[in-house]
Formats: sequence, structure tokens, C-alpha cells
Amino acid sequence: MNKRNLILIGLAVVVVLQLAVPAWMILERERTLREGQVFKFKTRPVDPADAFRGRYVFLSLEPDAVKVPDAGAWRYGQKAFAVLGTGTDGFVLVKRLERTRPAGESALQVRVSWADNLAGSLHINWQGLDRYYMTEKKAPAAETAYREHSRRTNQDCAITVRVLGSVGVIENLFIEDQPIQAWLKDYKAK
Amino acid sequence: MNKKAIQWLYGELPGLVSQGVLTPGAEERLRAHYGPMEPARPARLAVVIFGVLGALLIGAGIILVLAHNWEDLSRPVRVVLSFLPLVLAQGLAAWTLVKCPQSLAWREGCGALLFLMIGASISLVAQTYHISGDLPRFILTWSLLGLPVVYLLGAVVPALLYLWGITEWACHIRWEDGFAGGYWLLAALLLPLLFAWLRSGRYRVRPTLLLWASCVSVTVAAGVTIERVLPGLWIILYSGLFALMFLAGEFWFSEAEGFWARPLRHFGAAGVLILSFLFTFEWPWREIGWHYWAWGRIPEATWRAIPDAVLGSVIPVAAIALLVTTVRRKTPLGLIIGLAPIFATAGYCLSSLSETYAPAAGLFDVYLLVTGLWLLVTGIRINKQGQMNVGLLAVAALILARFFDSDLDFLLRGLIFIGLGVAFLAANLVMLRRKGVAHEQA
Repeated sequence: MNKRNLILIGLAVVVVLQLAVPAWMILERERTLREGQVFKFKTRPVDPADAFRGRYVFLSLEPDAVKVPDAGAWRYGQKAFAVLGTGTDGFVLVKRLERTRPAGESALQVRVSWADNLAGSLHINWQGLDRYYMTEKKAPAAETAYREHSRRTNQDCAITVRVLGSVGVIENLFIEDQPIQAWLKDYKAK
Repeated sequence: MNKKAIQWLYGELPGLVSQGVLTPGAEERLRAHYGPMEPARPARLAVVIFGVLGALLIGAGIILVLAHNWEDLSRPVRVVLSFLPLVLAQGLAAWTLVKCPQSLAWREGCGALLFLMIGASISLVAQTYHISGDLPRFILTWSLLGLPVVYLLGAVVPALLYLWGITEWACHIRWEDGFAGGYWLLAALLLPLLFAWLRSGRYRVRPTLLLWASCVSVTVAAGVTIERVLPGLWIILYSGLFALMFLAGEFWFSEAEGFWARPLRHFGAAGVLILSFLFTFEWPWREIGWHYWAWGRIPEATWRAIPDAVLGSVIPVAAIALLVTTVRRKTPLGLIIGLAPIFATAGYCLSSLSETYAPAAGLFDVYLLVTGLWLLVTGIRINKQGQMNVGLLAVAALILARFFDSDLDFLLRGLIFIGLGVAFLAANLVMLRRKGVAHEQA
């Protein structure tokens, strides 16, 4: 086999690998959106920009702290899995924190930020669920409108997340129980 | 012999033959001795540069267009869109390899475009599914998927992008307080290509560019991959690293012409001089050594301190090994620059054991003064204006720094500034006049 053919075979392998990564990302998320269980998180939107992926609404999810029996045994930046359940108000609650991926339960990976030893709780960051991408005009508009709106009313912003195993995909962002796009339209009309 | 001189000689030969200074036979023997001159091909280089610039602009443009976020498009359409630029770039790369594998412009341009489109594709999928965070993982995946492009197309631009990617990755990992030692393995993946290029012509544009970028990348990475458990280790590490670069440049690339063709030598020398200037202050020597060993930085994983031990010992030892060969070859500048890691280690031991800082700083005052004066004097002697100015700059920086440190009055400081300025101008004037005389005589 000559050198040129070897290079072309190499290119074919590389092409498949390069396509496989985004393809795998898509398949995993589509499956989660189809088969995953829905959880609703309270949140607060802020609008920053990302050089590669454009404008998004930054989400700061609740609950941001979880009661644990051994708060002192965790350290900053440690990975953990938050086992999810649904509270009586319809919003998500964290049943417990695990150090390893629990089998057979919906759980999302989080990072420990700091331990409150007095309260016996850990503050956590919901990694991977902090961005909701919107068009570059709508994202700042959503943030401004939300800020003006939240001055008058209580915070009532939420996201729905589909969770399958430990993969979570944001489904939609809601303000006053309306999807953000519809809410923005109504808000501008007011 | 340098290319310019041969070019000049070849230009003179016909005249010399016609005037009877040389016989036609002697002319032929001279030409056979020095070999054929490769004609300069500026047009070809321009095509490559414009090809690469075009590809980079298109690539960056596509990333920005995708970043606009087409919310109104349905998910399946966006999925197709996320693959489209990548598939097109892959198609172009395949076309280049089949139809014009010899064209450097196509290979470089396609390589750059394909590298950027891998990132664009992953970004658009991330945007569609609101996948956030973990920037280091994104950059690492992107860089690793782009690495084969470097080898398949034999192109330097994707290699530079890969180096940028892994350096950025290491910085982000360090920022998150993670272990970035993997950088060295990732960087080593470029070595086979670099060696192949160096074998086929070490003074060509591609290996030279890659060496410049590697110097920058390794300098950044050395800082972010050590765990900093031993305070002040950077003093030994960086002085060793820059001396190693300089000596390697002197040892393996001594025949290169011009500033840009000698990345290792010039980057290393600049590093040693800047570092030596910093070492003339007392702050680098404070609170260093075993007494300040940072146990807190290695809570569970002691192995994370391995890069500290390896880098902090291998690099200075390698530099000193090269220094020995330099002594044998009797190159004085190599000896002067090569001594930097030995002095740095001596200063380190002195400061950490005695907890006094002035001797180490004083050692580098003397070192920088001697180095600066040597560069200045030899620069004047061998008629190299650049070297003379670097020497003058080193001496001037040292004097200025010491005078800002001390309590001398403004008048004296002012006079010293004026004196230094006059010295700069006078030295350059003398040099220019000498060159002018040499030119007229030629």
C-alpha cells in the first residue's frame, strides 16, 4: 500500500472520529429529552456572552445547599452526585449527595463549593446546567425584562430539566409558568 | 557560509570572469563548491499566507455566525447545520490530499479551516442542547480531534492551533486547581512531526514557526504544571529552561541566519536576561526553600508533586550538561548564558538556608552587569548593532533599577538618565558610522 493510500485511510478514520464526537453528544441528549424524567428547578437569569457559543442566560439554580451528615469531610471543588426527587411544591429536591454515581436513580453531577459546618450543609454548584442559550438580541432582553419584572413580583423563574441516569438536558426556561419566548412576547406587548 | 554572501558572490562572478580576475574554470569550481542557490519565491509564500489568513477568517466568521444562535430553527435543522461546516472542511481536506497534495497553500489553508470547524461543530451542538461549562474539556476534545489533521496534512497552522489549545487547557485546569501535568504528554505528541521537519531541513519556515510557538507554550506550561509545593522552585526551573533553550539553539541551530530563524537562541537569551533582571531584586528570594514547604497544597495526592521534582531537576541538569559541551566548544556567550541556572541554584540555596536575600540579589547584579557589558563590547567589536543594544539595555535597566531602589536625589538621578541616553545615542552613532565606512569600502 503506498503512502498516499495510507494517508487517505487515516483521513477516513479521522473524519469518522471528528463526526462521532458531536454525533454522540446529540444522541445522548436526544435520548435524555425523549426518555428522561422531568425535574423543575427554581432559578435566576443573568445574561453573559461566550465567544464560541454566543449569548446565553446564566442560570443560578436552587437548591444551592444540601444537608449532609459529614459536611467537614468534603472539600472545595470535589465532584458529587445529587440524587434528585420532587418536593410537594413541584420543584426539585436533593435527597442526598453521593460520592459515586448511584445506580438506578436520577442523579446529576455537582461540585462542592463550600461547607457550612454549623448548619451541617454543603453549598453546591449545578455544573452543566447553568446556561440557557438564546439569540444574541433575546438573551439580554430576557435578562433586562426579568430584572424589571422581579422588582415588582416575587422570583418566579424556573427551568425544566430532563434527567436520564446522570445526564441532564435543559428543556425550557419559564417565567411566570410561561416558556421564556412566549413570556417575552407578552411582556413586550404590555 | 551564509546565503546572502553566496548570493553576492554569484552576482560578482560574471564580472570577475570578464575582467580576467577569475578563469571560467575557477568560476565553475566555485559554483560547484557552494552548490546551487535556491531562488527566493516570495510569490509562493504570499499564496500560502493569504490562503491561511483566508481560511482563518472564514473559520472565525463561521464560529461567530453560529454563535448568533438560530433559536427559530428547529432542532433537526440545527443538528444538520452543526455538521455542515465540519463536513465541508473535511471534504476540502480530502480533495487537497487527492488532487494537490504538494500544494502547501491548500494544505495549510484546509488544515486551519478543518481545525476551527471541529470547534464550531461541537460548539453548535453545545448551544442547541444548552450544554454548558467545562471549557477545559471542550478545548481538550477539540485539540485532540484536531491533532491528526496536523499529521495528515503536514501543516504547521493546525499544529500552532493545537499548541494553543493544550496550553489554554493547562491554564484552565490550573485555574480550577486541577492537575495540568498531562500537558507534557499532549505536547510530546507533536515531537515526531517536529523531528521529521527538522530532519528534512531545520531552517525552513515550518519547523521555525513551530519552535517559536513551542518556546512560548512551554514557558507558560512550566509555570502552570508545577504544584508549587516547594516555594521558589520557579527560580531554578525557569533559569534552567531558558538556558537550555539558548544552549540548544547554539548547539543545533548555529548556522541559522537572522533573528527569526533562531527561535531557541533568542527566546532563551531574552528569558535569561529578563529573569536575571528580576533576580536582582530581593522579592524573588524571600520565603523560599524547604522551610516554607507547602504541605497544604498536596492534601491527598502526593503524586501531583512529581512534575515539580522532574521539571525542577531534569531541565536544569540538561542545561548544565549542554553547558559542558559549550565549554568544550569554547563559545563565550554560551558559557555566560549557560551559567544562569548554576547561579540561580546557588542563590536559591543561599537565600533558603541563610534567610538573607541581599547576597543572591547581589550575585545577579554582578551577573547581569557582566553579561550586559560583554554583549555591549562584543557587539561593538563584531559590528552587530542588535547585540550591542541588548547589552546596553541590560546595563541601563540594571543601573536604573538600582537607582530607583536607592535614596539618591533627583538631580543625580536625572544626570544619570541623561548620561545613559547619551551613551545609547553615541554607541549607535559610532556603529552606524562604522557600517557606513564598511559599506563605502565595499
